[in-house]
Amino acid sequence: MCEEIKDLTPQNPAVVFSIKIGKVSCFTSFDPVPEKTFIYHNWFHRDDPSTKKRLTLQPPRWATYSTIQLRETDKGPWRVEISDQKGNLLRILRFSITD
Amino acid sequence: MPFLEFIRWQDVIDILLNSYILFRLYVLFRETYVFRVLTGIAFLWIFQRIAVFFGLILTSWVMQGITAVVALIIIIVFRNEIRSVLQAKNLRAILWGFPQKSVPTTIQVIVESVKALSKRHIGALIVLPAKENLEDVVQGGIPLRGLISKEMINSIFWGDNPVHDGAIIIEEDRIAKVGVILPLSYKNDLPSRYGTRHRAALGLSETTDALVVVVSEETGKVVVAKDSKIKDITSNAMFTKILQEHMGIHEEENVYQQKEKFKMSIAAIISIFFITGIWFSFSKGLDTLITLEIPVEYTNRNPVFEIVDTSVNAVRLHLGGSGALIKSIQPEQIQVKLDLGNAVIGQNIFSITQDSITLPPGIFLRKVIPSVIEVTLDETIKKEIPLQVDWVGELPEGLILSEIEIDPNRVEIIGGKRILGNISTLYTEKVHLDNLKGTGTILANLALTPAALKIASGSKDKVRIVYVVKPRPR
Repeated sequence: MCEEIKDLTPQNPAVVFSIKIGKVSCFTSFDPVPEKTFIYHNWFHRDDPSTKKRLTLQPPRWATYSTIQLRETDKGPWRVEISDQKGNLLRILRFSITD
Repeated sequence: MPFLEFIRWQDVIDILLNSYILFRLYVLFRETYVFRVLTGIAFLWIFQRIAVFFGLILTSWVMQGITAVVALIIIIVFRNEIRSVLQAKNLRAILWGFPQKSVPTTIQVIVESVKALSKRHIGALIVLPAKENLEDVVQGGIPLRGLISKEMINSIFWGDNPVHDGAIIIEEDRIAKVGVILPLSYKNDLPSRYGTRHRAALGLSETTDALVVVVSEETGKVVVAKDSKIKDITSNAMFTKILQEHMGIHEEENVYQQKEKFKMSIAAIISIFFITGIWFSFSKGLDTLITLEIPVEYTNRNPVFEIVDTSVNAVRLHLGGSGALIKSIQPEQIQVKLDLGNAVIGQNIFSITQDSITLPPGIFLRKVIPSVIEVTLDETIKKEIPLQVDWVGELPEGLILSEIEIDPNRVEIIGGKRILGNISTLYTEKVHLDNLKGTGTILANLALTPAALKIASGSKDKVRIVYVVKPRPR
């Protein structure tokens, strides 16, 4: 999880983000990628689904990210569940939005 | 009658039991001063109730005070009398028996006295008048009007007594006259064993309808003269029978016993009326309403199930009853119980009926709000859940919380299947960022939401958070 992506590089990776930054990104990198496929970034605020992003992966390796804009009501613990196109859970990234 | 519809079988037992207790108190204490004082207290109490009814505040207050003080005094002052009544009797006599007062009757006294005189060869002449007046027939005599007793009769005929030669006249239960001279019989065919006393007895029996008892000084034999005839007395039973026939008493059961039975019956009836009156004044008089909030108890729950939600935790009961009973209600006397024996997993709807509510005697349910309760049950399971820190506040400027590690990072939770099925992360209590200056470690409690969740034994309720704080790159 990072504050922003610049030149395909995550900036200021962290586990707590201030609401003042205005956005937060989930950067994922896959190596190798055998064939073109999709992954999903499922964003949850506490246990409530917030958004689900479908991202394409291209061989031989690929990095991709999803970003959400932050509002005042978004404070609290978050998690992003990264799953493949079959729904298999690959990783869970946890972070918090605070003051 | 409408009010009879409200009387339960328990109320009837209540009245009868207390009536019997009051009746037994009367039977045990009726001849004592305690009973008189108790009667006084009862009147004071009735007076106090009347004063309350008419709103005489000071009078009712004074009466209440006096009643309480007198009740205390009675125990102290009459403790010996109470003790003697209770100690003299066994449990059966206290609960059931009727003390018989052994008051000898006139006939018994005469029979006993004559027996004693006969045994000691003391001559005696006893006149028992019937309907006819003896005034014109007998002579002399000293009025006595003394209550009859064995000792009195024996002393009158004692040889040194100046009046021992005369006759005594017994009227009802009193010796009316002593030293009376009876007219002598002029019969010539009297047996030689009969003396002057016998002749006098026969003489009176010839002229009146009186019965005369003679005790021979020489032989000690007893005879009775009546209707010009002399009859030898050979046994006490025969003597008693002759006296009873003369006095017009045909049954063994004497007047005294009949009076006693009558008194007891009246006392029993008064006891029932008195207690019934008190019972009605307590339980039915001045109907009062009260509203109480009573927590609902759930019984017979399958141990595998767990109550995860209820529409209410307590119900409001609108209750009615007499003011005295309503005032004395203790919340723990009232219970609202729902039987979960037939409940299933998920939502269950129960109606609160009269059977679900336990009330003290004399209190009636008028309304229950709400009358329906929803209870959600769930099956208890265990689930291992990942942990996440719930950060709040603001990091000092120029710092980034770059990474953390939680130890342990998972915890085993016990709770309802339906609840745990929707929970994929368990959070810590809120951890403040404001004081984090650099890398470090903190301990945090777990926030169990909803509260029905429990941490399984073996899992920790605190976690250790190792955090890394770095300066924000420029």
